[in-house]
Amino acid sequence: MDKERRRELDEYRLEQASEIENTVIDELVDGVLDRSEFIRRATMFGISASVVGAALEALGHPSLALGAPALPVAGGRLKVGIIPPPTTTDPYTYADTGGLETGSIAGEFLVRATQSLTLLPELATKWTPNKNASVWRYKLRPGVKFQSGQAFGSDDVVATFDRLTGDPKSAALSAFKGVLSKGGTKAVDNLTVDFHLDAPTASFPYLTSSTTYQAILLPKNYELGSFTKAPQGTGAYELVSYTPGVGAHYNRFPGWWGGHAALDGVDVTYYSDDAATTAALLGKTQNLIGQINFATGRPLFSNKGVQIFNAHGATHREVCMRTDLHNPLHDWRVRQAIALTLDRPAIVKTLFGKFGEPGNDSPFAPIYPSTDPSVPQRKKDLKKAKQLMAAAGHPHGFSIELTTEQTGEIPQLAQIIQRSVRAIGIKMKLTILTEAAYFGGTSTGPPLGWGNTPWLNTPMNITDWGHRAVPNVLLTAAFHSKGIWNAAHYSNKKFDRATKSFIAAIALKDQRRYAGVMQRILLHDTPVIIPYFYDFLGAGTTNVKGYKSDAQGSVYLSHTSLA
Amino acid sequence: MARFLLRRLGFALITLFLLSIIVFATAQLLPGDIGRNILGGFADQSSVDALDHQLGVDRPVLTQYWDWITSFLHGDMGTSLQYQVPVWDLLGPSLVNSLKLAAVAFVFVVPLSILGGVLAALKHGRFTDRAITITGLSLTAVPEFVTAIVLIIIFGLVLKWLPVTATAPPGSNAATQVKYLLLPAFALVMVLFGYIARITRAGTIESLDADYTRTAYLKGLPTSTVIRRHVLRNSLLPTIAVVATQMGYLIGGLVVIEKIFNYNGIGQRIYTAAQYKDVTMLESGVLLVGIVYLVATFIADVLYTVVNPRIRHSAEE
Repeated sequence: MDKERRRELDEYRLEQASEIENTVIDELVDGVLDRSEFIRRATMFGISASVVGAALEALGHPSLALGAPALPVAGGRLKVGIIPPPTTTDPYTYADTGGLETGSIAGEFLVRATQSLTLLPELATKWTPNKNASVWRYKLRPGVKFQSGQAFGSDDVVATFDRLTGDPKSAALSAFKGVLSKGGTKAVDNLTVDFHLDAPTASFPYLTSSTTYQAILLPKNYELGSFTKAPQGTGAYELVSYTPGVGAHYNRFPGWWGGHAALDGVDVTYYSDDAATTAALLGKTQNLIGQINFATGRPLFSNKGVQIFNAHGATHREVCMRTDLHNPLHDWRVRQAIALTLDRPAIVKTLFGKFGEPGNDSPFAPIYPSTDPSVPQRKKDLKKAKQLMAAAGHPHGFSIELTTEQTGEIPQLAQIIQRSVRAIGIKMKLTILTEAAYFGGTSTGPPLGWGNTPWLNTPMNITDWGHRAVPNVLLTAAFHSKGIWNAAHYSNKKFDRATKSFIAAIALKDQRRYAGVMQRILLHDTPVIIPYFYDFLGAGTTNVKGYKSDAQGSVYLSHTSLA
Repeated sequence: MARFLLRRLGFALITLFLLSIIVFATAQLLPGDIGRNILGGFADQSSVDALDHQLGVDRPVLTQYWDWITSFLHGDMGTSLQYQVPVWDLLGPSLVNSLKLAAVAFVFVVPLSILGGVLAALKHGRFTDRAITITGLSLTAVPEFVTAIVLIIIFGLVLKWLPVTATAPPGSNAATQVKYLLLPAFALVMVLFGYIARITRAGTIESLDADYTRTAYLKGLPTSTVIRRHVLRNSLLPTIAVVATQMGYLIGGLVVIEKIFNYNGIGQRIYTAAQYKDVTMLESGVLLVGIVYLVATFIADVLYTVVNPRIRHSAEE
């Protein structure tokens, strides 16, 4: 350990560091955080790189490697195949992969989240919380210009976040609900913004990062519906033409604050068929495919001319079982029994190969540092499952209907579940709906507050859930008693209290403690089966350099080049 | 003749009007609503309701239909609910693309199928007949997505002779555009060959067996003249009808081919509109295909009368 560095660090902690900074450094000192988790949490709380480096060196860890990356080869136009957005929308309404892929090439965020969930400065250079993380101050990057030519400043941030938190069409309302309301974003000066939160939230910077893909910064005078009509992001490439359902073209933005982007431009073609996407990459019609599926894109995985980009994340499926109906699923023993019939490692291998991992029936994915690893992993146990069924009064099983959507591998998962539960006598009827039918109807109001949409009201269903950088919105919306996406109609006051405490907790050990409580409650009650988490996959030809997939599907090309 | 054509035109307009009602009515039965489809399954109900109201889809169905049909009759197809741009801006280029693909496919499939059908009929019961019939039937029985993928693998990925996508780069000349359309056109040829050739074969066999053909032979006319003047003239009547009815499919029914070759045709536009319940786009797209179909059958009727004067005379009576 470097004594001199340790002395300097101690001085800094005594005289300058905030309470939260000291908490995070304490966690490194105590061994609660390893090097990578420390960096991730330090960036979340906006601790400067110099302090992070000093702390690592002082405590004997390898320091930060901040060398400049190798210069990419300049020039060329990258041909990218992505999913067509269902509509011509504004970034704040993005609710689909195609929309966010299209927007993320031209737009930028206050903060950029990396694959390892580390937060990097983008349009904000620094962010610091007050003592209890209820007010966050962001310093903005000076000298940034929109592609329209106007300067970027705090008024643009206020307008963007007011729209995200206050416009009824915002697709980020659920993410900000209970955290930030319209009017809570205040300009302090032209390059400083304060976020006054509804409740203390330690992970707030993630909500301002690229993981909230609707939070692309737009000018304060942005005209709704005009994102695809005129360049007005701040990113390395400006959107110059867009044809719904066909494609989009981007040119290098010469005024980008990050300097001279490597590519001359980007040509996007929309693909709605997996076979066409696979052929396009193998036939070198495209250089990069934003999203591929393991099941349908198998020829890509064994081709030497193709590189696979995978992003480890928390994308998963939820098999929800209504806890409030007068049917066998009302009994936790039956729900547990169903969960115990699943051979999760085999399911993962079949559906995702090496690009997935078993779930443990809670939204705490292995990728989250807050996940309590001491909670035992649920495994297939037919003997126990049969015992539970008998104890619940269903030794010979029963009949039930499983409703789900025609999305990705979900129909295959439904068939696997149907086959698995036969072992405990359950006769399962599958109803596979189109996405439109599955999410159709109302989602609030009578009869029980969740409207009449199948995905929130059928006795048993499977729904697709995307990656989140922190599990907060899943906890508050899908598992909390009053959650708007609580498809199981699950209610547990102890769980609700733990959720609130978890969100406000600053120290990782506290977060893990509350997470452990919630994980154990969910493992017992089993309102939802989460059989696996899987990686977001993209693919490219071997001459694509500097690209990384994003767990949510953003296509970030500012540092991508062609060899 | 003019009366005959006017009557056909009248029927066509009534058909289009009924088609518009049927499509509008069935579109109401599609699951979900446009607001939910645009904003996604996780959007607040109030946001969905607000968008539905903004788009006007919460108005009575008859009001919506009346507004749409009156605008359509004035040459305005309206605004796409899904994309918020004029429908024609999207359907126009898609229709042109579909016509291009149909034209390339037509150029190959019609002569090939007629040639195959006539050859099979002339060699009736022999090896050539069986080979053409079985090959044609087998190709027709294979689903078009299988045919398309096999063609892509062989000619696009292994031999690398043809592009795997149907969309030529912007600004490409006509030859390049045709090159890009060859693979999807071949896929269509394989689907349609068996059907058209079989109809041609049946018609030709019937004509070859007819009294007027025997008379022509007995008159001492050479075989080629008998075939051209007497056999084909009669045997092609059902073929013309079949080809005309396939025009609707070639223009608006190629969703699978368009998807696999990632081609911006009108079939994909209609399919997406149905998926998202974009009624204005769906209505206009289906009506355009309907118009193309009716024009094709109208041309077939005219060709009928040209090829077979008996029909012309009966129409005039």
